[in-house]
Amino acid sequence: MKKAFVLLLLLLLLLTLGFLLGLKIGSLPTSYATVFAALFEYDAQNATHYSIVNLRLPRLLLAFLTGASLAFSGYLMQALVNNALADPFLLGTASGASLGASFSFFLFADLTLMGLYLPPFFALLGSFAVTLVVVLLGSRRGQLIPSQMLLVGVALSSLLTALVSLLMFLSDSESQLKSVVFWSMGGFEKADWATLGYPAVALASGLVLFFFLQRHLSVLLLGAERAETLGVDVRFIRWVMLVTVSVVTGFAVAFSGPVGFVGLMVPHLTRALLGTTNRFNLLACALAGGLFLVVCDLISRWIYPPAGMPVGIVTSFFGVPFFVYLLRRKNYRFS
Amino acid sequence: MVKLFSVTKTGASGLGSTFRFWLGFICLLSFWACESKKTSAPASSAFRTVTDDLGRTVNLPVLPKRVMALTPSLTEMLFAVADTASIIARTQNCDFPAAALTKPVLNNYPMDYERLLALKPDVVFATDGIISMEVAAQVQKLGIPIYFQTYDSVADIIRGIRSLGVLLHRETQANAVADSLQTQLNQLAADTAGPNRPRVLAITWQDPIYVYGRNTVFSDKLRYAGGQNAVTEVFAQPYPALTREYILKMNPEVIIGSDFAKMEKTFFSLYPELRRIKAYQNKRIYQVTDDLMSRPSPRVVEGIAELKAVLR
Repeated sequence: MKKAFVLLLLLLLLLTLGFLLGLKIGSLPTSYATVFAALFEYDAQNATHYSIVNLRLPRLLLAFLTGASLAFSGYLMQALVNNALADPFLLGTASGASLGASFSFFLFADLTLMGLYLPPFFALLGSFAVTLVVVLLGSRRGQLIPSQMLLVGVALSSLLTALVSLLMFLSDSESQLKSVVFWSMGGFEKADWATLGYPAVALASGLVLFFFLQRHLSVLLLGAERAETLGVDVRFIRWVMLVTVSVVTGFAVAFSGPVGFVGLMVPHLTRALLGTTNRFNLLACALAGGLFLVVCDLISRWIYPPAGMPVGIVTSFFGVPFFVYLLRRKNYRFS
Repeated sequence: MVKLFSVTKTGASGLGSTFRFWLGFICLLSFWACESKKTSAPASSAFRTVTDDLGRTVNLPVLPKRVMALTPSLTEMLFAVADTASIIARTQNCDFPAAALTKPVLNNYPMDYERLLALKPDVVFATDGIISMEVAAQVQKLGIPIYFQTYDSVADIIRGIRSLGVLLHRETQANAVADSLQTQLNQLAADTAGPNRPRVLAITWQDPIYVYGRNTVFSDKLRYAGGQNAVTEVFAQPYPALTREYILKMNPEVIIGSDFAKMEKTFFSLYPELRRIKAYQNKRIYQVTDDLMSRPSPRVVEGIAELKAVLR
């Protein structure tokens, strides 16, 4: 318990530092004094103040929310299918969202319809539709069969990826291709206050819900049969997990694109640090995921100003070596 | 594939495959003989070695009789310089001048190599950055010389016209076109010489925001049109992706992309933060003809005139 508190405190401290740095770095030269002035004595006429509050802060928050959502979903997913390889995109969320977003890039030249910016909307639609199909094919008589669901998810993902490739092949403009490629690698540049609420509410509800279901989750990691004998309604909890994962992941991916690797790595990291059954695992996992993407976004903007390198590239570059180190440590076991 | 399998299954594989091999070999031999005969014919009518804009050595006939371009801008150039009858085809994107539309179409993306081979051009012309080196290598493998042009400025485009004239033995025609463009250009420049040059941002794509960077012909065109590129930093890509903050910092006075009403509905509803820039506040947001903007063709001066009309 003490370990968890120290970790949570450390994560919060690092997050604060990350946010401060993120608010300072941008195209307009900014001092920390300006950052504080923008936050506490906001002057709408000042271009730097405006950028800090309306561009940098939403971007940081979106990076944080995306990282937190994906790490949280990844944790649930690994528990749900009881497999160390599981990540939040296992249900076809990422490929479904990619296909949806690609459709909007190819079908609507303006990308807006009656003032609605279409790609996130289509991405959300795509991810939910695909998840639904995976669940239907991966369950029998209302009972989820994790291994079957896993395979259906992988198979369907390949099919959808092929469809995205087909759309790309048929595209007649290089710009459309760039949109799809950019989107599929993830990024936070389009963050704004108006849309931040969706992923925030999705994540917060998920966190609160599973704070109370944490005990069931830990028991489920022991295996479905043992959980059953210990009095957990496995069937019910699996459905709750599934719906939570698809909603939380769907909203994160819709606005930021399918940022890879966070959802696989951060849950393992959390368990390595706190053990498999700590009741603060999910919270720590979400905070660590958020911190990871905030840092990755900072790195991406620092390496490649101003637009930043697609964050998916950075996550893998910096995440994989660390992940390998983690796995090679002797005392880490998945369950 | 299916047929091949059935042959092996019926046990006729030994005889079948040997027969096929020799048949194929003979076909290949006769094909090769035909090919070498074909290529030897113009060889006698003399080749020459030139260096293209990329520094590649290109071996092409002294008197090319069948020519074509793999990009719309070069098709426009060919129609301005070459004997129209010698232009044997166009790509699916080449739509100017109207006469070009009467020529057969060669698909250039993905490149239709078989059709290119069938068209038997003496030389093909390509623009750097649009036709890849991979395609160039493949075209060369087919025995078709491919000549690249590349442009950093308006002067480069005019130089490109003159160089086409030399390659196609149409110097008089090419120089007339180039001289006329140069005269118009000088007039435009004299007209717009002055310190008051609005900073112009030209947007090529909205999501992510791609713009005409510093190192494009567009920057030079603006010089003649009486403006300046709002992008002053040189990025690795000629058309860099920018952030909203970067655009806020530049605070461009004019935006080229689409007309105000349309940009309001798309671009500025997608990025409402950008409503703070001068171009939006003064409604200096304009649409120009896409092809004039993007093609380094003889119509470049027409494009500059259009920009000038908008900036005035």
